[in-house]
Amino acid sequence: MNSDRIYLDNCQTTPLAPEVLEAMRPYFSEKFWFPGTFISTGEAANQAVAESQQTVAQALGAQSSELHFTSGGTLANNIALKGLVGANSSRGKHIICSVVDYPDLLTNAAYFEKQGFEVSYLECDSKGLVSAEQLQRALRPDTILFMTTIVNHVVGTIQPMAEYRRVLESADHKILFHADAGQAFGKMPLNVKDLGVDTLSVSAHKIHGPQGIGALYVKQGAKLSQLIHGVSRVDHYQTGGISLALMAGFAKAVQLTFADLDGGIAHLRELSDYLWRRLQERISEIELNGPPGEGRACHNINASIAYIEGEAITMMLDVNGITVATGSACASQGLKANYVLMAMGKNHVQSHGSMKFTLSRYNTKAEIDIVVDKLAEITAILRERSPLYQAKPDQER
Amino acid sequence: MQYSQKVLDHFMHPHNVGKMENPDASATEGSPACGDQVTVYIKVDPEHLVIEDVSFLSYGCASNIATASIITDLAKGKTLEEAKQLTWRDAMEALDGLPPVKVHCSVLAADTLQSAISNYEIAHGLKEVPEFTKETILEELTKIIYPKVGEDIITLKMVKYVGFADGEVLIDLNMMNFDQYRENVAEEIREHLEKYPDVKKVVINFP
Repeated sequence: MNSDRIYLDNCQTTPLAPEVLEAMRPYFSEKFWFPGTFISTGEAANQAVAESQQTVAQALGAQSSELHFTSGGTLANNIALKGLVGANSSRGKHIICSVVDYPDLLTNAAYFEKQGFEVSYLECDSKGLVSAEQLQRALRPDTILFMTTIVNHVVGTIQPMAEYRRVLESADHKILFHADAGQAFGKMPLNVKDLGVDTLSVSAHKIHGPQGIGALYVKQGAKLSQLIHGVSRVDHYQTGGISLALMAGFAKAVQLTFADLDGGIAHLRELSDYLWRRLQERISEIELNGPPGEGRACHNINASIAYIEGEAITMMLDVNGITVATGSACASQGLKANYVLMAMGKNHVQSHGSMKFTLSRYNTKAEIDIVVDKLAEITAILRERSPLYQAKPDQER
Repeated sequence: MQYSQKVLDHFMHPHNVGKMENPDASATEGSPACGDQVTVYIKVDPEHLVIEDVSFLSYGCASNIATASIITDLAKGKTLEEAKQLTWRDAMEALDGLPPVKVHCSVLAADTLQSAISNYEIAHGLKEVPEFTKETILEELTKIIYPKVGEDIITLKMVKYVGFADGEVLIDLNMMNFDQYRENVAEEIREHLEKYPDVKKVVINFP
């Protein structure tokens, strides 16, 4: 990848912070040890794990003992969901999630259905919001688990976590609560005690940490059946080896992000507001997908451009050194329109023409200006080629 | 698999793009709901029945635009009879191949060219409006691409039975329920067949 490439797909993964690379370096060379007891190398490794654990736990308002490293967010979600359901299956067979959840949650829901559980899929509104009233209505005496995605990975909608908590706590029996915080971590304040969750997953590479490491918060006392069996080296949920270098990198990424979380959020909010304002100025018939303002995560702008198709836009931007994402069916392996946008009631044309811009602290207004100029140019070119646009009366073009 | 350089060239700088004023015939195929839509315009020398000029519009992806660009290049200057032999396979070959999952996007452009030629022939009394038969269905099914391998479902022997009676098309498809493209292929079959006025209903059965 060119160093001068403009990268606006930070929802997918983020560039590694240089400080993170430095923090990891010793663990790839002289400090290659694994945790152990009594001998100095093993104790040094124990210390390194403990420090990393404490840093990530603190950022979530958790105790160190409640924080478990995993080889990524998906593994954290699987350990939590299969663990919670496995340990609580005798209490009931009903699980609740929503149609717009992250695929980790939806594929687990499908798995549970095959295992004989019944899953209720809550609908969302036109902005991608899943109401607590719906959760209330879906509750049953045999409900054991509600899982949710705090920030929607497509349109950035922030789900009403406090209201969910109230609904779950007012139920007449214990309902386990799992949250995927992949897109929320580092983009909004999160405190596991305030959220009232039993388990919560995060990932390092969404906040300029390394790929291949995530973490799972498990509330003290919560029972999970064991998903991965093996020798307990670093953690008893993900047995086997977990890279100490990646843990140290994760901890460093957390330190950098949380040194001034409010400032970081304000910066991203300013950048995304600027991007949306500039897009509206330069491109006609463009609409925001998801809620405006504070209802969406600070780093996400998802917009549909009328009459043109997202894969073509993405390819043209790519040739011009700009990386973005699209919800077009043509750009997906399954050739399906984006399920989140369709659940929000968008039509196929809106989904095909949707562009997702996700920002990071390394993006600048100057970059946004370049992207918007290029996108306006590309929109004009593709509209000139589009039979949908050419079918419009001349005076409207 | 990535796009070939030739696909990128034709996508970034397509030939023969734009609306044609006073064409001798045109055709629009596909629909935005199904992902893409193409319009092809032709001008024909009535004496020699040669395609003098051809242009297209595309609401579609890079693969779709590149195919429309190259197939209009291939058609230009050819007689109608020669141009009628052009298929998506010719376009794909001329583009140095396409990723399997993108082959289906290329079929539409080739198909629309054929429809424009057919519309010209019907309008000029060169042929009758063809009767809709089981052969028409089979012909349409050769344009349905299985995205996993980038080959059509007839060649892949995925079609087990085709029937047509009283406006109802019956197709047995050999695709398992865990196949991620099953819904996609069924939708494309419906799109291809429901455009015929003779077709009232399309029933697709799976094992």
